[in-house]
Amino acid sequence: MVQPTVGMSGNGRRLRRKIQATGWTFAAPGLALLLIVVAVPLVLAIVLAFSSYTFLHTNVLPFTGLANVKENVQDPYFWHSLWLTVGYSAVTVTGEVLLGMGIALLLNQDLRFKGIYYAILTIPMAMSPVSVALIWHMLLQPNLGIVNHVLGTLGLPEPDWLGSTTLAFWSVVLVDIWQQVSFVVLILTAGLSALPTEPYEAAAIDGASIAQRLYYLTLPLIRPVAAVAVIIQLINEFRAYDLFYVLTKGGPGIATDVLSYFVYRKAFLGLNINEASAASFGLLIVVLLLTIAFYALISRRAH
Amino acid sequence: MLKKGRAWFVLAVAACAALFVVSTASAQGTTLHILMEDVPETHIIENLLPQFEQQTGIKVDIQKLVYSEMHDKLVTQLVSSSSYYNVLEVDFLWAGEFPAAGWLEPLQPYVDKTSFDLKPFIPSMLDLVGNYDKKLYMIPMYNYSMGLIYRKDLLADPKLQSAYEAAFGSKLEVPKTLKEYVQVAKFMNDHAGVAGAAMQGQRGDPNSMEFSNYLFSAGGHYLDASGKVALDSPAGLDALNLYVDNIQNASQKGALSATLDDTFQLMCRGKAWSMVTYWWMLPQLDDASTCPNVAGKVALGVMPGGHGESGGWGWAIPHNESAQAKDAAWKFISWVQSKKVAVERALQGHAPVRSDVFEDPSVLAKYPYYKQAESVVQSGEAFPVFTYSAQYEDVLGRQLSLAAAGQAKPADALKAAADGLQQLLTKAKSQ
Repeated sequence: MVQPTVGMSGNGRRLRRKIQATGWTFAAPGLALLLIVVAVPLVLAIVLAFSSYTFLHTNVLPFTGLANVKENVQDPYFWHSLWLTVGYSAVTVTGEVLLGMGIALLLNQDLRFKGIYYAILTIPMAMSPVSVALIWHMLLQPNLGIVNHVLGTLGLPEPDWLGSTTLAFWSVVLVDIWQQVSFVVLILTAGLSALPTEPYEAAAIDGASIAQRLYYLTLPLIRPVAAVAVIIQLINEFRAYDLFYVLTKGGPGIATDVLSYFVYRKAFLGLNINEASAASFGLLIVVLLLTIAFYALISRRAH
Repeated sequence: MLKKGRAWFVLAVAACAALFVVSTASAQGTTLHILMEDVPETHIIENLLPQFEQQTGIKVDIQKLVYSEMHDKLVTQLVSSSSYYNVLEVDFLWAGEFPAAGWLEPLQPYVDKTSFDLKPFIPSMLDLVGNYDKKLYMIPMYNYSMGLIYRKDLLADPKLQSAYEAAFGSKLEVPKTLKEYVQVAKFMNDHAGVAGAAMQGQRGDPNSMEFSNYLFSAGGHYLDASGKVALDSPAGLDALNLYVDNIQNASQKGALSATLDDTFQLMCRGKAWSMVTYWWMLPQLDDASTCPNVAGKVALGVMPGGHGESGGWGWAIPHNESAQAKDAAWKFISWVQSKKVAVERALQGHAPVRSDVFEDPSVLAKYPYYKQAESVVQSGEAFPVFTYSAQYEDVLGRQLSLAAAGQAKPADALKAAADGLQQLLTKAKSQ
């Protein structure tokens, strides 16, 4: 966007500066909003993380240094929540990308009623996570929910979806994938439709099979787009909170006690907004590191 | 053309601004906003609101929410410079936290100014949701002491009676001890085609409240008379072992994630023999229009063992409100808790906090079991009420859920729960 000034006349430089100034003027309101909504709370959260501020002691001073971080690090439930969150994110993102890719490949063909399929796919995405959780809570009710009713009618086992320590985690994973896969499908479909056709024509002439075209052409070409989808979903899944709050409240036992729920309990039950902020930064650091690592891996492979 | 368009734009903005100012001005001072739990007690009050509005000219807007969402919503309002809610419905679990944080207006000046009579209020309710640190911050609203609701028709079934006698050598009747209760619940689970106990095992408030009944009925306590932690005791361990036995062997599928709503629905559909629950559930279950499968078949008793969990809600006024809003809030509170309105509420199923309402002839004529309910209220013991009661529910709830799921030994879970209580009490004292 910024053009080199070497060799430009004075009029040219003045014009360039005027264009830049116009650009900044138009961008300023949006940037100001972003500053207020994102930067200010972020800075405030950093300050709180090192302060003695709680809902009962509403003073930032005295600063406590790393005491709040230490409090979290020494809590065994913090580490359990962290590793559970990493596992949850890995599983959901993998599921969403694999399923999303499959659906995107199907939709990338000439199909009748494609518009209707797209409309159906966007419904879960348009619903708020709380609405999704409430609906699935009713569907998965083991005694009165319709899912078990249908399974029972077919003579199949009727699991305790949200009350079993082994199943509860996977039930939330499935609900999350159900809601989030639409977003991944849309990104990948857009990516697939933008792929060049010439390599496919050449491959067809060379007698490549559908599987070979998929493996040697489609997957490498779609990698940058898929990387974006993975990174966005990784950030989303690390922050996952609504589904856990409504479906399981972190239980049974500690089977679904993810880090965001840990942070919520610190802030709103323990009234320790300072410790909650410190724990949130732990989450932020993990997400940043994973995002950087993943992006570096994808970029290296692309080159 | 441009000038004309600009003129219309300015006019439109001015009109919107004027509408906003007028609507805001007209709302202030004449509308009370209350956040209330979405339960029958709230609906009863809503039915009576036109009376209050006619008498005072003050409008009341009640926002209803499930219990689990209320605390967070209230805290965010109370820490701000001005609360949207100008009358508060305060659960007893928050009755230590809110005054300690300085969020509530002391009410004694209002009581004195209007000569509001506190004598009819049941003393234990005033201790639970009235006074804190020797100051009056709340007026009791309704009680939700817990007892045992059970299917009397199943107890009277001849086939079940003979099977029980053959198995245990004793008569099938209303259990008197906690051990007997678990025994009968397991029997019903195996022989009556229903869950023996509809249990709300979800981590947090549901399972903490339910377990408290087992603890008190087994002779255990959270704190001893001197305020020291007494949870980790032989009686406490008995209570937890019986709780775990019941939830693993007598409860419905999905008990570990069940809430009050789930258990009520189960009981209402006739799929459970019993539930340890709030006594005011009885009129809802006994109503043929809402629960035709069990209406006329259910009864209320004190928790087997003699002591259920005592609970209640109180009315309060937030400190961060204008004087005008506080006066309007007090008008509402003194109206809704007056004897006249309390009797009208009781006739619709309200759980009283005034002894004169429990003993009112018209109330007893309609609900004879209020005599039983009064015993339930009087025999109740309370969950520890202090600054971090809400957090302790979470700490205890986690340990109960681990024990119930078989992921922790009851002895270890009980010790962890007792240690958690000690830590929070120490933290509260150091504030």
